[in-house]
Amino acid sequence: MTDQTNVKLRLNNSELWGGLIGLGLGLFVIWSGLKLKLGTINDPGSGYVLFYTGILMCAFAVSITIAAVTEGGPTFASRWQNMRWGKPVLVIVCLAAFAFALEPLGFLLSAIPLMLLLLRVIDPVRWSLAVPLSILAPLGMWWVLKHLLAIQLPSGMFEIG
Amino acid sequence: MDTLVNVAHGLGVALLPINLLYCFIGVFIGTLVGVLPGIGPISAMSLLLPVTLSGTPESGIIMMAGIYYGSMYGGSTTSILVNIPGEAASVVTCIDGHQMAKQGRAGPALGISAFGSFIAGTFSLVALMLVAPSLASVAIAFGPAEYFSLMVLGLVVLTFLTQGSMAKALLMACIGVVLGLVGLDSITAQPRLTFGRIELIDGIGLVPVVMGLFGVAEVLLNTEQAIKRDIIKTKITQLLPSKEDWKASSGPVARGTVLGFFLGILPGGGAVVASFASYALEKRLSKHPERFGHGAIEGVAGPESANNSAAGGAFIPLMTLGIPPNVVMALLLGAFVIHGLQPGPLMISQNPTLFWGIVASMYIGNLMLLVLNLPMIGMWVQLLRLPYNVLFPLIILFTIIGVYCSSNNVFDVHVMIAFGVIGYFMRKLGYEPAPLVLAFVLGPMLENNLRKSLILSQGDLMTFVERPISAICLAFALVLLVGPLLPSLRKKREMVALDEGA
Repeated sequence: MTDQTNVKLRLNNSELWGGLIGLGLGLFVIWSGLKLKLGTINDPGSGYVLFYTGILMCAFAVSITIAAVTEGGPTFASRWQNMRWGKPVLVIVCLAAFAFALEPLGFLLSAIPLMLLLLRVIDPVRWSLAVPLSILAPLGMWWVLKHLLAIQLPSGMFEIG
Repeated sequence: MDTLVNVAHGLGVALLPINLLYCFIGVFIGTLVGVLPGIGPISAMSLLLPVTLSGTPESGIIMMAGIYYGSMYGGSTTSILVNIPGEAASVVTCIDGHQMAKQGRAGPALGISAFGSFIAGTFSLVALMLVAPSLASVAIAFGPAEYFSLMVLGLVVLTFLTQGSMAKALLMACIGVVLGLVGLDSITAQPRLTFGRIELIDGIGLVPVVMGLFGVAEVLLNTEQAIKRDIIKTKITQLLPSKEDWKASSGPVARGTVLGFFLGILPGGGAVVASFASYALEKRLSKHPERFGHGAIEGVAGPESANNSAAGGAFIPLMTLGIPPNVVMALLLGAFVIHGLQPGPLMISQNPTLFWGIVASMYIGNLMLLVLNLPMIGMWVQLLRLPYNVLFPLIILFTIIGVYCSSNNVFDVHVMIAFGVIGYFMRKLGYEPAPLVLAFVLGPMLENNLRKSLILSQGDLMTFVERPISAICLAFALVLLVGPLLPSLRKKREMVALDEGA
């Protein structure tokens, strides 16, 4: 019976993908370095360090990829085994939504729903605590920043805050 | 005599009411984040980096330093009482500290940990006062080649000590260097990797990167597992260790202090390595090594002294050479730069008020910590009962506000969230963020010094090996790079590998 948590040349080998992403990034950095001009060794240009760092990145990424193919690596599924993987995904979705809403809606209108979602959706806190906390925490911080530290948080199109 | 005059001068600065307040806030927050699992000194310091803008440089740096050494004190409380390390340097304290607590000896464990930390903290400060000025006068003679090689060594040591594959750690360091180079080239003023975004002309900010990689990513990792806390329920009494406890602990405290200080100075080293090294040393020297793991007080006294001593020692390379030896010091360097200051060999002579003020405040902070950690232990125990599902939304809110306040720019909030998600996947796939952050800070300096050396030597690469200090650093870095290929050194590396960059 084969160990399904450690695979070699398979698409679900997480180490292999890590190495390939590193290789892709390294190639991009080399290309960026070349585009910026390397200069000479007497007078290195803007792309000099980028170019050589890119080469090093490729070398390390290739070594990770080779190790992934020859020694195998854990599958993606095994990395999240016995973990509540849905919870960080939910937090990421909430944060992404907040990031998009922050500028058009302003800090208060985007932070209050964010707090409420985080308090209620991940490991639900009782409503009687979640509602006041999600309103008072952003409101309190906004007040301290605006009135005591004279820092203006985004007020959005409705100019609230 | 000069040192005493300078210390008196520093005390004058540190005892100013505003600086005392900042020092207290720093050590209080440090203890708090040390006590609370799931948030460490790096997250807390990155959160409070923007706050340093509101005061004088002295006040800001005094507070940041307080958070660091305060967290070393606080971390032991959680390790002893809950068996969860409050921060990475207290991992080893769990082994014997929690066993002592289970045997009804939580008081002496907490007591020796606080006294050991205080003794070690005091020693490291005295050593810092004596060593730093002499080292700074030597460092004035350093040229770009020496600085370049020292930074290479620092990065290599950190990657060597990072848990898991060294190739992954080195890849992370390279990515950090590239990210550090985003923005205008300091020599030619040519924009690099800005993708036409005006927000990237000044480069990517340290605050959003660190808060994303450590703050947001840590929250994401913690939400996927239910954090269970097994808090010792018996009342904590008799915090003062007995005569026998002192007799057993005096040697470990002394050895841990000296060992921690030297490991703290080394680039890439720090409190985590020091605590593990001290534990291993005490176990090896003990006549009864079988007691370790079953509540030996030496297993608490040594590592706790070592991690505090290392925290003090780590200030030496930053203050005298301007090179941060670990991520925490990189953040402190960020605080200096925010105020337009450049730590390095000239700082002690050009800014004596700042240097001696910080050193003196650290001594006062150590005294404050002793008071905070012994008589107020009950308060910290209560805090341990704060559930994580209430705490993490507040951490996220703090990070968002902290990032926005550092630049008044929504773009940085987006950067932080992006780095949070990247950091989460990096950690899941076994890529540690510590080398990336250190390289991100050192990247621009590394490039600058490399290009300067090449220009000055007219392209002669021998300049790096003809200068003795540079040659020694590069040779040591090479040994560490090639070393893991040898099975015996690879085994040693795995033993001392860090769980988290510190």
